[in-house]
Amino acid sequence: MYAFDYKRAATLEEARKALEGIAESKLLAGGMSIVPVLRYRLAQPSALIDLGKIEALKGVSEADNTIRIGAMTTHYAVSRSELVHNKIPALAQLAGGIGDPLVRNRGTIGGSLAHNDPAACYPSSILALGATIHTDRRDIEADNFIVGTFTTALKPSEIIVAISFPPPDCAAYIKFINAASRFSIVGVFVARRRGAVRVGITGAGDYAFRCGPLEQALSAKFTPEAARAVRIPADGLNDDIHGSAEYRAHLIPELTARAVEHCLAGTPGAII
Amino acid sequence: MTRVTINLTVNGKVLTAEVEPRWPLVEFLRDHLRLTGTHVGCDSSQCGACTVHVDGIAMRSCTLFAVQADGCDVKTIEGVSSGNALHPMQKAFHENHALQCGFCTPGMIMSALDLVRREGYELSEETIRHNLEGNICRCTGYYNIVKAVAAGARAMRADVAT
Amino acid sequence: MYVGQPLPRPEDFRFLTGRGNFVDDIKPQNCVYLAFLRSPHAHAKIVRIDAKPALACSGVLRIVTAEDWAKAGLGKLVCVHPMPFTDGRPMREVLRPVLASGEVHHVGDVVAAVVAETRYQALDALEAVEVEYEPLPAVAKTGSALDNKAPIVHEQFGTNQINEIIRGDKSATAAAFAKATHTVAMTLTSNRVAGSPLEPRSYVADYSPQTDQCTLWATTQVPHMLRRWICKYALFIPEHKLRVISPDVGGGFGQKVNFCVEISTVVWMARELKRPVKWTSTRMDALLSDTQARDHVTQAEMAFDKDGKILGLKVDTIAALGAYLSNFAPSIPGNSYPQTITGLYQTPALDMRVRGVYTNTVPIDAYRGSGRPEATWVNERLLENGARDIGIDVVEMRKRNLLQPSQFPYKTPVGRTYDSGNPPLLLEKLVALAKYQELRAEQKRLREKGVLMGIGIAAFLDKSGTGPSRQLSTRGGLHGGFESATVRVHSDGKVTLYSGSHSHGQGHSITFAAIAADRLGLPVEDITVIQGDTDTVPYGNGTWGSRSASVGGSAIYRASEKIMVKATRLAAHLLEGDVGEIVYENGLFSVKGKNLSISFAEVADAAYHGAHYPDDPGFEPGLEVTIFYDPPDLNDPEAMHLAVVEVDRGTGRVKVKQYFTVDDMGTIINPMIVEGQVQGGLAQGIGQAMMEHVIYDDEGQLLSATFMDYAIPRASDMPALTSDYICTPAPSNPLGVKGGSETGTIGPPAAIGNAIVDALWHLGVRRIELPFTPHSVWQALRAAGA
Repeated sequence: MYAFDYKRAATLEEARKALEGIAESKLLAGGMSIVPVLRYRLAQPSALIDLGKIEALKGVSEADNTIRIGAMTTHYAVSRSELVHNKIPALAQLAGGIGDPLVRNRGTIGGSLAHNDPAACYPSSILALGATIHTDRRDIEADNFIVGTFTTALKPSEIIVAISFPPPDCAAYIKFINAASRFSIVGVFVARRRGAVRVGITGAGDYAFRCGPLEQALSAKFTPEAARAVRIPADGLNDDIHGSAEYRAHLIPELTARAVEHCLAGTPGAII
Repeated sequence: MTRVTINLTVNGKVLTAEVEPRWPLVEFLRDHLRLTGTHVGCDSSQCGACTVHVDGIAMRSCTLFAVQADGCDVKTIEGVSSGNALHPMQKAFHENHALQCGFCTPGMIMSALDLVRREGYELSEETIRHNLEGNICRCTGYYNIVKAVAAGARAMRADVAT
Repeated sequence: MYVGQPLPRPEDFRFLTGRGNFVDDIKPQNCVYLAFLRSPHAHAKIVRIDAKPALACSGVLRIVTAEDWAKAGLGKLVCVHPMPFTDGRPMREVLRPVLASGEVHHVGDVVAAVVAETRYQALDALEAVEVEYEPLPAVAKTGSALDNKAPIVHEQFGTNQINEIIRGDKSATAAAFAKATHTVAMTLTSNRVAGSPLEPRSYVADYSPQTDQCTLWATTQVPHMLRRWICKYALFIPEHKLRVISPDVGGGFGQKVNFCVEISTVVWMARELKRPVKWTSTRMDALLSDTQARDHVTQAEMAFDKDGKILGLKVDTIAALGAYLSNFAPSIPGNSYPQTITGLYQTPALDMRVRGVYTNTVPIDAYRGSGRPEATWVNERLLENGARDIGIDVVEMRKRNLLQPSQFPYKTPVGRTYDSGNPPLLLEKLVALAKYQELRAEQKRLREKGVLMGIGIAAFLDKSGTGPSRQLSTRGGLHGGFESATVRVHSDGKVTLYSGSHSHGQGHSITFAAIAADRLGLPVEDITVIQGDTDTVPYGNGTWGSRSASVGGSAIYRASEKIMVKATRLAAHLLEGDVGEIVYENGLFSVKGKNLSISFAEVADAAYHGAHYPDDPGFEPGLEVTIFYDPPDLNDPEAMHLAVVEVDRGTGRVKVKQYFTVDDMGTIINPMIVEGQVQGGLAQGIGQAMMEHVIYDDEGQLLSATFMDYAIPRASDMPALTSDYICTPAPSNPLGVKGGSETGTIGPPAAIGNAIVDALWHLGVRRIELPFTPHSVWQALRAAGA
């Protein structure tokens, strides 16, 4: 990789100062996304600012009946959190299926959301659960957070501090796994709260999105059949060596139906 | 770019070194400390041949920079056995023919040890297979590795008990 | 008896404790680093290369291109196994260049090499080399390479066709088809795969001007052949001036058997700079440069009589060989593939044509299985579809067509003679192992519940133990098939074996030690094995083609036999008896009926003391034998696989639930190692079947350049496996051994493909494309209207 400077931030304040003060610097969270990019020489930051030792950014807590997850909490920690298991088991299921155990030991929710890979799992969950992304300067609703491919609403040098998730009545995450990358070919997160259903899809488009037609169908009737009856157009969906746009258009309602089956059975989802 | 001084422990040995921030930990271990047991098998942070323990947790040393190991306790495959006696997990790999070319083996063992730390000494086949997804082996087909990890875990419990 | 025992391996200890000695671990003092500049275009003229900006970069010592190679008067990467047209014309040969000259022909083609003090400096300098390309049209799809309007990879030929191999009898086959009750026709594609041993290729060359000696540490399966090729064909240096050391090698599978592009440059630069030069491939380098495999498009037809007996087989294959001819490449589709196409069946008539073609892709060469997975995929898919079309159970269909043991040795319509086998017994064992009838009952039960379970079989012949050297040369081979062995007894009676084979995971050490220990009547702990150093090991042809046990092992055996002849004679002399009276047991020579004995160690001691030995003409002190064993024939492992799958109709995802194998590898020397070979091969076979696919777009851009897109099986991708073995010894070697390490790769595409079609037959599915990704299966279901 290209050379860069390194700064280990002891506090959030230090991190922000460094990010603002050093031109073309980038944050380093778990490194699972940024390091391969650097290794392929696809980016050339002047410095990396390591958030790894900022304890205040780690951990899962509950406040006002929402689950608050620190940005630097690892996927492993989320998958094993009793709080998450009790309130949003589908989120624990999701976290426990990201990458592989070595990825889960290091990768963080904040890092994943900031990077916003079009096939990453977490983006589908913040959309489906209506999460709020708390940064060092404001709160951003999930619907406003994801704006493009590898692009979020974060301003330069804005740092995610935590993400809070209001618990649903039921939820499930179905990850249709890509055998090579261990990302999703398509991933579907379904959450239902007081009769209203939200469906977050990842892997199928330029970035994760909510699927209106499926949300409407399932809000009217929360059954697998209702999901399968929805026709999703292939236009604009990803077409690559892992699957055509038509295939993804077929998978979206099919996987949604399975997520609904899990919701109805009280199970949190599966990797299939 | 300027070098950074790091202080860390590697396989129980305290040391200080000057590193370039861009050096992955695996490069520092292999080229500078000449601990060549940790291997590089890919460039996309997937194969797991580079797995080491940092502060007791398994991670890919290709995806961690040496600078990030400042203040940390690093263990590589060279630090697993003591003297000439094999660790029970290593012994189980040998007894179950769980290695052929040997290239993935150090990473596989480091991941197996981490699995025992997280999930305990009684490991089902499904748990083992699922938890070795981050370690690619191209030679064995994994069957003997799975057997070895199960046997190694049980032997580790016996070891702790005695 | 050690042969037949699952003896553990002595090399494990260093691998388990991180003390292996792999090439990238080697870092000589004063070492410099090499990086290669690779073409981003699949086909382009090189208009201009300007290395000046790069030469100015910090730490850069030398930058070389094809022009420098030519100026130095250096040579080529010769094709050591050419396959001319069957009508006698030579093949249209363009060899892999060491550095691309004038044009680049695949993405990844090497354009320049940069040597610098550090690896980072070499990589930085690469970016400063200016290359101007003029892109040209490219052809990447194998099936299009012979189309009228296809871009031509090498303009001088006006065609992409390399050769044409014709086998069988066209008119006899036409007649067979004319009287057939039933025929099945299919288009079958064998997907291109990348062997991807986990250890990337790595080379360190060091040159000493004081002694004019060059040492090359190389990740190679063939240290002697590599030395010969570099010396004779590439760099024109005397062989005694180049030492090749192949230390621990982390998997090979064929990717480390050829003398690829990068090796010669590393050695050349070491000699030029008079400093150690090192290059280690990245994984992306590997996917852009390591030879790849399979990649056939085939039109095939099988003809049957009313009872389902095969009357004839027609095969027309276009086989991609990539942008250049790699060392063994033409022989894979040209020889290995046709030789095994009829598998284990009585196929009275064959009409076969194979055309090798150039495409703007990475060169193809040997990879575990080499031609047999491709052959089995064609033969077995046709057979099972035929069975289902006619209405005969697929096991019964095999029973009706399998060769009987009494028919061996069996001459096939291709001209090949199979040595020994018992296919009906293989089938019987497979059926029992898998509990076939119960599986069918379960399939019926599950289908009533809407679960799509499928059962598929692959029966096949492997071809191993290459091979008789004269036979190889009649096919144009520039290398032999013998193997070297030295048995050196030391003066204390312990033994060191030297073998020209080279283990890259197959456990040769314990295997060869067991063979020698049995023949010498010694404890196996008293024997060590040395491989992989051209300075100490006599010339061998290395490890590939499942030849090390049958050829390398037989060499060890024969050399050990000669040791025993000499030792027995010396013992007789020392005991003052006749050779005929000597009995040897448990390491002790004794005279029958007398109370006189002498140990093997004492005989060795006497041999090296040299004071007492017989006056027989030619009898010398010492106790050491070197032989070069040329096998009289190849050998034919055979196997049958059965796959049980479940297809998820909604997504197309296939789960291979169970897998059964029965192998005939003749005598098994170490069942633990053999089982490991079957399992490892199976992972690669399942990889090809389910997920591995090197994909180029129509413009020749590689879309699967990292493990993010090229899927390799993980532990959780492997099915439950049950294996069994039968033994029909190979008649051509003293051990009765057949090669055991490739069958795992051969069966899965056909067995799993047949199982998927079986699961979906009632929904109208008749074909399935490799690899059987969920997308592929879903497309098959859609095409059938399901």
